[in-house]
Amino acid sequence: MFYVSINNLVKKYGELTAVDHISFNVEKGEIFGLLGPNGAGKSTTLNVITTLSDFDKGEVIINGMDIRKDKKSIKQLIGMVPQDIAIYDHLNALENVKFFASLYGLRGKKLTQNVMEALEFVGLSDKIKLKPRRMSGGMRRRLNIACGIAHNPQLIVLDEPTVGVDTQSREHILNSIKLLRDRGATVIYTSHYMQEVEEICDRIAIIDKGQMIACGTESELVSMVTDVLSVYVETRIPVEFNRETFCKKVKLMPGVKGIIIEDSLIRVDISVEQNSIERIVQEFISHELPINNIKSEVPNLDTLFLTLTGRELR
Amino acid sequence: MIQIIIKETKEFLREISNVFFYLIFPVVLVFLLGNLLSKLDAPEEAIGEVKIHYMIETEAIADIMSIEGFIQGVSDEQNIIFEKSEDINTSKALVGEDKITSVIIFTNSPLEIQIFEGTNRIKNRTINAMMNGFSQINKAVNVIVESNPKALMNLGDKEADFIKQKDLGINRTMLDYYAITMMSMISFMSIMLGAMCFMGERQYKTIDRLKIAPISQVKLFLSKILGLLPQVIIQISILMILSVFVFGANYASNFLDNLYLFFMFFVLTFTIIIIGAVYGLFVYAHPMATLMPVIWIMMFISGTYSKALFIDGVTQVMPAYKVQEAAFDLAIFGRYDKANLVIVVCIIISLTMLVIGAMSFRRRVDE
Repeated sequence: MFYVSINNLVKKYGELTAVDHISFNVEKGEIFGLLGPNGAGKSTTLNVITTLSDFDKGEVIINGMDIRKDKKSIKQLIGMVPQDIAIYDHLNALENVKFFASLYGLRGKKLTQNVMEALEFVGLSDKIKLKPRRMSGGMRRRLNIACGIAHNPQLIVLDEPTVGVDTQSREHILNSIKLLRDRGATVIYTSHYMQEVEEICDRIAIIDKGQMIACGTESELVSMVTDVLSVYVETRIPVEFNRETFCKKVKLMPGVKGIIIEDSLIRVDISVEQNSIERIVQEFISHELPINNIKSEVPNLDTLFLTLTGRELR
Repeated sequence: MIQIIIKETKEFLREISNVFFYLIFPVVLVFLLGNLLSKLDAPEEAIGEVKIHYMIETEAIADIMSIEGFIQGVSDEQNIIFEKSEDINTSKALVGEDKITSVIIFTNSPLEIQIFEGTNRIKNRTINAMMNGFSQINKAVNVIVESNPKALMNLGDKEADFIKQKDLGINRTMLDYYAITMMSMISFMSIMLGAMCFMGERQYKTIDRLKIAPISQVKLFLSKILGLLPQVIIQISILMILSVFVFGANYASNFLDNLYLFFMFFVLTFTIIIIGAVYGLFVYAHPMATLMPVIWIMMFISGTYSKALFIDGVTQVMPAYKVQEAAFDLAIFGRYDKANLVIVVCIIISLTMLVIGAMSFRRRVDE
């Protein structure tokens, strides 16, 4: 039996369908990643799972319970770490975590013990009296996590928990999430940072425009696009350069799956079978684009997303 | 629920602007307005000379004795003059011309007091208070007459003392006026606390965390509201205590009336907070820009900052004026009727708003 089972979930906001017949299952003790660009429907899906939003169609089962019938029991199982830092500025770290944990019925010694463990877990045990306004961005993020896990939830939902943090804090947060999984928690993790998802998630679902476009382990997903090669061309783009025309021409070439222009770096995804590097180089020359450097790269989730949607994951 | 109450209290006391606006600012205003404006707003000038024509039509001897004793006692006050009316219609005409304050007819048995009031509100209020005191004493007089007629001989002084103690004994200053109007001010300003109750959670993005906790939405809403109770008690207590013990202001003359005054403002403040909280559920604009200007204008028109400001036909219908009127009636004259009305109205509004708020909060889960 899956710990979380989402079947044909539909969520509409007026005319807009934010989540369009999404289905996936999460096994107990795994880190499941929801990957997609901003506005893809990740947060809406999480809001449904955390009981924050109702939904129009479909079924959501958590630990064998229907979310519509056993909402209160399900709430007791869930710990949420929202995308925005949701803590009180006037309460110190200890008071913040204590308050949120107490909402789950923890009292007395058990409450204190859990709160201290959560603060230690996120590396803030020596900052318990510090108020959030005196903390760095990374510390505030970690406190945000502590507030969501202090009641020892079985299902932890993390919505882009590393947004805007320094590398050190990011590493700490990612390691902490892996540790939570190792302790037996089931984790649903959303991000639009490809590397993070690749690093920590056991399985990944890719969502775009409210629909699920792929789901599986990283290797399973990448195998979907093994015939794609990313070619990076470093150039110098003149002011009068017509990007649109260039992109259209390149895309029409046989074997070209997608193209992205970022400053002076142009990335073209091409089919391995129909290797068209030579023709691409010719196109650069015909558009008077100098080639300063050229390299190719094996496919990753980013390539997969580009291949499936024709857009970059941003 | 207790965790939410503790959290709300900590947040309130740790926010400097709250401490200033709800605890320090009103106390400072009592002192500043009460002292600096006392020469502009002298309370004695407001009452002035009270001239009353009266006629005794009752034939009950006990009543006549107590009326005459009462009039003699009250006439000792320099600015209250009782004159026997020669012709009641002429006296009524004099009231109409504002030459005398009012006409009082003591008639029937049991005694009935008919007061024909003039146009001066404060003088009318003074007379009403005096006659209320007399009515209470007169019942006692009748009891004494029935049980021990001789005891009536010693009643005169006691009656005068009663009236003096009840209505005229405290030397009122403008500090007393502002001690009460500032209570009214912080009560109405508390609408900000209520509005920010849920806006603050939205601002800190913590509302979602509260909503996914395993407590019902209705309980969560009520807990948040009840979490503001200690703040209400703290702010009213601090203003009353500092006004009395630091600045020497007076509220009511006895502990019971003061306690009732506290209760009235407590109920009022809590009602205002609930209204603010429900407002905060529906409106996303900051209450400092939307609610505060309305509250300040209303208080200004209601005479909260100066009793000289009275716009006939407008001031009387202002909620702050009604509250202040009830508070003055209670504090100065010991009358409970208007305070009771304020409390009853507040309770009805509170219950209605709580039901609306709890229901809409539950519905807005999907927001």
